[in-house]
Amino acid sequence: MSPQPDIAVGKPQSRVDGRLKVTGRAKFAADHGSDDGVDGIVHAVLVESSIGRGRITGIDTEAARDLPGVLAVYDHTNAPRLPYRENPFPDSIHPEGERLHALQDDRVWFFGQPVAAVVATTLETARHAARLVRVEYDTQEPEFDLSSADTREAETYERGDADAALESADIQLESTFRLARNHHNPMETHSIIARWKGGNLTVWDKTQWVNDSRNELAAVFGISKDAVRCFSPFVGGAFGSGGRTWVHSVIAALAARELDRPVKLVLTRRQQFFTTGFRPAYEYKARLGSDRRGRVTSLIHEIRGESARYEFHTEDAATPARVLYDTPNVRSSYHLVPLDIGGPTWMRGPGWGTGTCVIECMMDELAHRLRIDPVELRLRNVPEDDPETGLPYSTLRLRECLTTGAREFGWHRRNATPRARRDGDWLVGMGMATGIYATERMFAQAHARLNADGSAVIQSATSDIGPGTYTSMSQVGADTLGLDIRAVDFRLGDTNMPPAPVQAVAWTMTSVGAAVKAACDHIRDQAVAMAVGDERSPLHGVPAADVVVRRGRLQVRDNPGRSETYEQLLRRNNRSHLEHVGTFSPPDEPEYSMYNHAAIFAEVGVDAQLNRIRLRRMVGVFDAGKIVNPRLADSQAIGGMIGGLGQALMEHTVTDPRDGRLVNANFADYLIPVNADVPDIRGIYVDSVDTRVGPLGVKGLGEIVIVGVAPAIANAVFNATGRRVHELPITPESLIQ
Amino acid sequence: MFPFSYTKVSSAREAIDAGRRGGRYLAGGTTLVDLMRETVERPDTLVDITALPLNDIKTTSGGGLRIGALVTMAEAAAHRAVRTAFPVISEALELSASAQLRNMATIGGNIMQRTRCSYFRDVTAACNKRDPGSGCAALEGYNRSHAIHGTSDACVCAHPSDVCVAFAALDAYVHLQGPQGERKVAFADFILRPGDTPDREHDLRRGELITAVEIPAHPRPLKSGYLKVRDRQSYEFALTSAAVALHIQGGVIRTAKVAAGGVGTVPWKLPAVERRLTGQRPSSRLWAEAAEESVRGARPLTHNKFKVALLRRTVERQLRIVGGTE
Repeated sequence: MSPQPDIAVGKPQSRVDGRLKVTGRAKFAADHGSDDGVDGIVHAVLVESSIGRGRITGIDTEAARDLPGVLAVYDHTNAPRLPYRENPFPDSIHPEGERLHALQDDRVWFFGQPVAAVVATTLETARHAARLVRVEYDTQEPEFDLSSADTREAETYERGDADAALESADIQLESTFRLARNHHNPMETHSIIARWKGGNLTVWDKTQWVNDSRNELAAVFGISKDAVRCFSPFVGGAFGSGGRTWVHSVIAALAARELDRPVKLVLTRRQQFFTTGFRPAYEYKARLGSDRRGRVTSLIHEIRGESARYEFHTEDAATPARVLYDTPNVRSSYHLVPLDIGGPTWMRGPGWGTGTCVIECMMDELAHRLRIDPVELRLRNVPEDDPETGLPYSTLRLRECLTTGAREFGWHRRNATPRARRDGDWLVGMGMATGIYATERMFAQAHARLNADGSAVIQSATSDIGPGTYTSMSQVGADTLGLDIRAVDFRLGDTNMPPAPVQAVAWTMTSVGAAVKAACDHIRDQAVAMAVGDERSPLHGVPAADVVVRRGRLQVRDNPGRSETYEQLLRRNNRSHLEHVGTFSPPDEPEYSMYNHAAIFAEVGVDAQLNRIRLRRMVGVFDAGKIVNPRLADSQAIGGMIGGLGQALMEHTVTDPRDGRLVNANFADYLIPVNADVPDIRGIYVDSVDTRVGPLGVKGLGEIVIVGVAPAIANAVFNATGRRVHELPITPESLIQ
Repeated sequence: MFPFSYTKVSSAREAIDAGRRGGRYLAGGTTLVDLMRETVERPDTLVDITALPLNDIKTTSGGGLRIGALVTMAEAAAHRAVRTAFPVISEALELSASAQLRNMATIGGNIMQRTRCSYFRDVTAACNKRDPGSGCAALEGYNRSHAIHGTSDACVCAHPSDVCVAFAALDAYVHLQGPQGERKVAFADFILRPGDTPDREHDLRRGELITAVEIPAHPRPLKSGYLKVRDRQSYEFALTSAAVALHIQGGVIRTAKVAAGGVGTVPWKLPAVERRLTGQRPSSRLWAEAAEESVRGARPLTHNKFKVALLRRTVERQLRIVGGTE
């Protein structure tokens, strides 16, 4: 096999779909219509419960049904019963328990649960009619107290003797952290168009995983997977909310089947807060023991995370304590606390961001107590091998992240004494934190087709929720085939394409990228073999390993003049195209432990009297393995760090405990950073290629970029003010004396 | 959104006629249309007044200003006379909403904008302002953004406007035209405290139209400015704010005009602060002592206790910024 040089890979290629997006021609789920063969679309609007727990005792839909243009109103009294077959992993990522059902019974699990759906010929009519539906309830007292409610049996972990080690530790720290619920709030709210033809269902859905939409709808409606097709060519952000197929998608498909017409359903911003998941709130009690030199000897973590009552989402909140530092004694318990809330789900850096936030705030406290520089303290605790499994690391670049970040940020200028630096009315502080995220991979396939005209089409049923998958896969395909990137057309978001995993876990570049590479390697090798074996080819008789392909021309590496194009080769051999399905299949039992690491450095200003908190600058250093496209990487890094800024200082979904109402389910009250909040933010990627993870040497970037950001900011707030706030977000009132 | 009819008028008389018959005036639409979408507002008729000639800013004799009701927030903020004579108005406007909203929203509409209380805006919640007699969900609910001054058991929501705080500080007047002719109401009397009737927000008679806001002449030189404190740097309503205007002559404060935002059920004029300042020489101590007066009688709620300290410090800071001492 001949190695191909990196030409497109590594370049800051702008998005190949950028023009489509900025000219409004990129079609998101709800944009599809007659041009795409879906005619006569009607509109569904959900009616949500206005209580937190109870049963529906009556629904009056008469006024809604009487409105001209209204086609139907569905609720649990008239909606068809759906089979709701099981749909376990690997076909879906449902948590334990049972997913929320669509209009199947009178039970209300949480405020905002869909209890009816109105379908009308226009969106305006449907929205108005939805307001006319009157629902009566038998209301029960809902429960929302994360601190005191009953829990499920804990997931526990123990190594060494954490209690004894803590008891005998020179330094013992203990704190309870309260981390708020966050909502993903992608720009595009969740949307779907559902159409039945015969027994076949086609959906245009906003999803991070078209195969999940297909599999889940097939399971819910009790039909074959082959009878469902899902398209999702463009996604306006998701951050984890599109990792599952939620109840609104089922309602749209249900209505479409009943009416035998295509139904479009677009969630409002408010509804987006109810049924598409969120990062759960945590109450996280942590104890840490250390010796005087700052070697952490014991971690004891007791975690309470909020959960729905009908399904039980767990995530990696307890994992960082086991793997971030070389800590010999660790004990953790992770309790889910079922409450009268909708189901949480993965949100960028799920669990890892939570556990790391707690550890890194305590590490800062430890550094302060011991008067050890926070960077030095981390360096003293970096493991040699994975402290949980004992496996060697595929690559470990944590030290480099820390030292590079300290240098590039100017960490040496930090004054370790809190409140020591002022800028007018503002106290200025610096803080840092480490981040960690598991490097993961998943089975993926891609189909590549090289046409006789020298163009290529590559397809995989993956998504592009923002990382630039269209572009990065085109880069990989172009280099592997030896084509200009403009000759490569990468397509995604259709269940008829070869399967790809959910676009999450930062594994798409590694996994789908490897499948793309495998498909293209095979085709190139096939072409090279064809040429060197073809007497009519100028390459006849050249060892295949000496042939490279550049700009569609096969050539001898050391004698580029001896060459021919793909086009010449294929036409001469009467081949219209070459094609292949490439597969990436990671080993079941890895020989190496694989992690992404990060070091985040932040400078904040805190108004000494008015307690305004503003980020002044931030540097994040990431080990993402090889960077396929530095421009896209910056987009991920800056976006992720802004997400962390929101988590640190603003984002907080507020529940009114009297009835479970989400009080701030809108963009005026649920605060996220605006441009004015975002100063100079820089992403740096340590020089790293990890071919043990996959053939591209990539480790993934999309998740690690948020982990460690919130604690770096919290630690900077401490350095500025001398106040430790064990709560996210950190608000003016949490600092006011 | 409930169905409604729409009519565009070309004269004040036509507008008032339509208003008298129950029509609701529509200018920039940035509040009203939003609330119609949420079905909080359910007008039968919208009367589009954007063609009326109420869009100029005039300097009055003596150095006051008359700002037409249809002048946009962006236009008012950028206007030379406003910037020169009353920076507090420009600053308050520029710290409001977003550039897009400021291009649409009008001064008249700003005065009429309704509260951001999330229970008011959620039609499934109890709210005496939206649905008199239904109760106030905010009183015992999540009330972080709510008022600490001027509240009643019926309503505790904060008035959302920034520029109205500047208008209140400057003792502005609202000019009205109605079926019975024209009248002029002091700003402090125009926006009503909730009392037992939080649904009644303005001293506005049926069919009356706001035609202008008048800023009276103030002694010169008048230094003024607006400070807004919030969680994020832009595009958020105030947690607290302070509008301050000072006329200092011979080292003595001759006139002080002070009001606060984010803390009152109406733009909160602070006469006690003004009195404490008048006749005094600027000093850090004076600012602190005067600011103490801003929180006298404050009634914080469960989630906004911090506003008491924050308001005091906001007023103190802004007195220092405008008054110019360390």
